Amino acid sequence: MTAGGCLCGAVRLVAHGMERELGACHCKRCQRWSGSALVVVSVPAEGLKVEGRDAVATYVVPGRSERGFCRTCGSSLWFRYLDRPDATYDICVGLLDDASGLPLTHEIYIDEKPDGYAFAGEHRRETGAEREARRMREESAE
Amino acid sequence: MSEAELTGGCLCGAVRYRLTGAAPHFGACHCSMCRRFSGGVFLAVEVPAGGLAWESGEDAVATYVSSEWAERGFCRNCGTSLFWRMREGDAMALAAGSLDTLEGMDFTSEIYIDRKPAAYAFAGERKRMTEAEVVEAFGMADQ
Repeated sequence: MTAGGCLCGAVRLVAHGMERELGACHCKRCQRWSGSALVVVSVPAEGLKVEGRDAVATYVVPGRSERGFCRTCGSSLWFRYLDRPDATYDICVGLLDDASGLPLTHEIYIDEKPDGYAFAGEHRRETGAEREARRMREESAE
Repeated sequence: MSEAELTGGCLCGAVRYRLTGAAPHFGACHCSMCRRFSGGVFLAVEVPAGGLAWESGEDAVATYVSSEWAERGFCRNCGTSLFWRMREGDAMALAAGSLDTLEGMDFTSEIYIDRKPAAYAFAGERKRMTEAEVVEAFGMADQ
């Protein structure tokens, strides 16, 4: 069980079955939304308990994705695809009360990352095209 | 490049701004408040006094007073993290990712480096300051 919450405390998250690794998305949409790379940890939809749901606002691209944020303090909460049956929540790592033991293992949309910064370490890095091709393969395999 | 004019805005497009006279560099703050607000990795560009002009959507900018002396701004429609600023005075930092491009801008500092989770780190060498060093230099704790 892992817990986290927004800056003002209106929204608290309790996660079961959370993955033990982080992923970063460098697409321009995630950059705009979060201020830089969106670094997340995946939680299955059935494993996430949201306390203070009244304070959660969502920005939705219909049929595609949803971004959750706290309407009081603006904290970025999660990203999830809406066009996948599992609708996994990608929880923003900054919310976690304890983010230890969660290595960054993959980066996507690396081709949209500004040249000015980069994460250290060797791990999987995919362009946007590679990421979307993998997503389509995974969906057709389901 | 000190007189360069930069443009940016939020994800949904409601908020658009012009930034004039900013130095061509940005920094990271790893404090727990910036991490919660942004979702993880807060990169920001220092805004010179009077350097920011809202082109549209100023009414979509919501603010949250996060400490006695500072507040944070976000788009109430899409939740984009936009800025940190002092409630009094001119100090302001704009979320780097909201700029249309960071081309030509250098990453020159990381503060609250001792608060950064071990899970990730930025490559390269630059000025890095712990919380104690920041408090000593600027005389403030949580922001």
